[in-house]
Amino acid sequence: MDSIAGKKPALIWAVHLSVIALVLLWVVPTFGLLVSSFRTGDQISGSGWWQALSTQEQQLSPIRVAGEEAERDGAFVIEGTLFPKGGTTVSAWGTSSREPEAHAPGDTADLGEGVSLTVQADGGFVLTSPASTRDMRLPRVFTTASTPPEFTTENYSNVISSPMAGQSIGQAFLNTLTVAIPATIIPILVAAFAAYALAWMDFPGRALLVAFIVGLLVVPLQLALIPLLQFHNWIGIGKGYLGIWMAHTGFGLPLAIYLLRNYMVGLPRDIIENAKVDGATDFQIFVKIILPLSFPALASFAIFQFLWTWNDLLVALVFLGTGNDQQVLTGNLVNLMGSRGGDWEILSASAFVSIAVPLVVFFSMQRFLVRGLLAGSVK
Amino acid sequence: MRMKLAVSAAVLALAAGGAFAQELKFPVGEGAFNWDSFKAFDEAHNLDGQTLTIFGPWRGEDQVLAESVLAYFAAATGVTVNYSSSENYEQQIVIDTEAGSPPDVAILPQPGLIADLVRKGFVTPLGEETQAWLAENYAAGDSWVGLGSYAGADGTKALYAFPYKIDVKSLVWYVPENFEDAGYEVPETLEDLKALTEQIVADGGTPWCIGLGSGGATGWPATDWVEDMMLRTQPPEAYDQWTTNELAFNSPEVVGAIEEFGWFAKNDAFVAGGSAAVASTDFRDSPKGLFASPPQCYMHHQASFIPSFFPEGTVVGQDADFFYMPAYAGKDLGKPVLGAGTLAFITKDTEASRAFIEFLKTPIAHEVWMAQTGFLTPMKTVNADLYGDPTLKKMGEILLNSTTFRFDGSDLMPGAVGAGTFWTGMVDYVGGKSAQEVADAIQASWPK
Repeated sequence: MDSIAGKKPALIWAVHLSVIALVLLWVVPTFGLLVSSFRTGDQISGSGWWQALSTQEQQLSPIRVAGEEAERDGAFVIEGTLFPKGGTTVSAWGTSSREPEAHAPGDTADLGEGVSLTVQADGGFVLTSPASTRDMRLPRVFTTASTPPEFTTENYSNVISSPMAGQSIGQAFLNTLTVAIPATIIPILVAAFAAYALAWMDFPGRALLVAFIVGLLVVPLQLALIPLLQFHNWIGIGKGYLGIWMAHTGFGLPLAIYLLRNYMVGLPRDIIENAKVDGATDFQIFVKIILPLSFPALASFAIFQFLWTWNDLLVALVFLGTGNDQQVLTGNLVNLMGSRGGDWEILSASAFVSIAVPLVVFFSMQRFLVRGLLAGSVK
Repeated sequence: MRMKLAVSAAVLALAAGGAFAQELKFPVGEGAFNWDSFKAFDEAHNLDGQTLTIFGPWRGEDQVLAESVLAYFAAATGVTVNYSSSENYEQQIVIDTEAGSPPDVAILPQPGLIADLVRKGFVTPLGEETQAWLAENYAAGDSWVGLGSYAGADGTKALYAFPYKIDVKSLVWYVPENFEDAGYEVPETLEDLKALTEQIVADGGTPWCIGLGSGGATGWPATDWVEDMMLRTQPPEAYDQWTTNELAFNSPEVVGAIEEFGWFAKNDAFVAGGSAAVASTDFRDSPKGLFASPPQCYMHHQASFIPSFFPEGTVVGQDADFFYMPAYAGKDLGKPVLGAGTLAFITKDTEASRAFIEFLKTPIAHEVWMAQTGFLTPMKTVNADLYGDPTLKKMGEILLNSTTFRFDGSDLMPGAVGAGTFWTGMVDYVGGKSAQEVADAIQASWPK
């Protein structure tokens, strides 16, 4: 007894530590994505998100001098600042890519032909030229500077309110809900009946049928895309919501039936037999006893199915279409990224926009998830 | 330009309110556009109440540009146009045609894929008249006809796809001021380019930024390099035979071209980050090294679309520029240019889709896009002064000065090679395998 009691705290510590490690493993990238979603594309490609949180000194890409020209004492002068947003401190600067750190702040550099440039520590500059600079290519300034953290909400406003070419995210949001809600409810309805029959009604070939359905779990849905769409066209429903509901139902049913059947088989036989003795029909048993008892399993499958249909892109593209008015959220976000993709700032911001609804669903139903999973599949 | 685009996109979207934009970008009758062609087309076509679905590769900003052109088609014919695109348009079009619910017109950048669809009988031939029109009105017309002609289900070859919008690929991007700071000249021959590469290394710099990363398509930028080298070391006939596998992939000619690419990419001193970074750098991030301080590299080989991945505010022509990827002076192969482009084809034969192909023959369908950005056309009757920026004009000149124009070879090859083993083979090659090994493997994967 002593040895077991002595081991316990160590075991608990190990469990706690590994839980913390796992949580960190999941949370850190998400946090990085969140930070990135508030940075501009150039910032994201220029430095890591962990550097965005504190003041960093780095060699900045060249900035071209620009501003209104004024004539003073026979010379043409342009005054201005390299960093209109302020807060940046220049520690060295230069005008040649070969020597980007040639000058200290406050120094005056001779650019040839009488042109001179002074850059101050705060980024303020004075360009003096004996001739008008209007037709001249103004110099670039390379700076080594420390920049305070800088964030923007522009990515979110781009994702939410600046629709490209008639695609609006509001419409896409509604489309996704129109797809996801029926595509979650229909398979649950069908699967609950089927699961009851497979669990508690005696008929020949029942075991084979269960094996067949479990076998269907391994069929990749990509295999069915073309034949199923052909079938939809043949029976005349074509591309549309009805089609995608049916497709999602079909693709979701094997898992739904398998989960629910396993859960229902585990319900106490006594209750059901008592009800039968009392003269209850199968339908009454199903509605009055099985359904209320199976609620955790139903809820956990609902979460699965909802998340899957919410995040789905492929099935929506194939069965709903790609037009602006049929586009689901995922399709809309992919299109926002442009013909060649790679807009990380859009990607990170849109990830957080699209994650909102699944998070609500998950947190409101998660207490069923663990219970349902354990009770259903770990038999 | 960017800002203006974004604003006009927002205005367009507001005006359209979710439906297709009817606002015309340039008012009819104003400017140096070929409005006569538009009016003649307008009078000849009245298809009020019909709809046309177009499936294309353009998304985001490109989609805004494409729809600005389609608005003129809609205004002239009265057809309601629904343009759509999707990320996996190559798979999407196959699924849609196979299942029997294709769009009316599809526009794709892969002739190899279109050839597959034609062979399965999903595409309507465009007819002899269009073929004659292309041959006459496109610069190097016969090569464009060849590009759009495939063998149909019954084996007879005919014109099925109409080339519209092309990209030039044989470009090297650089920052003119970085060249000036170091005293480098734009090379005129491939020998000079190699000498410049060595010179930059001798001066302590890194000449090239090369990035092959592109998600599932990782490796494709290297295929452009190899194709460019193929055109610079072999006659165009050998290039054509290569794309059809008459010239085996592991023949010495092709292996030589791969090794020419390797001269640049497999030398740690020549590439930013060393050759190990080539395969892992994303092609969209790769050009950013040109603008770093100090510069991570001096040159970047990429097609005409790449400025959209330059840092915000970069002015092409001032902050960055390009030169023609030169040819060997020592080999008498002229000035070959590698390009890519999109081809429109009819997947559902309706009056509206026929009218759309007719619309692509009007100069206005080209001019509206070229007056904005990112559009090149080989059509001879357009007003070249309309090019939206000097950069496009310069690219147009490269195109017109070329002695040989060849389409991106990997798009012409069967998908299993051109969008498969060629890509992965190039990743293996920069990863350390020999050119012969890689070429043997690609040859073995060629569908029999």
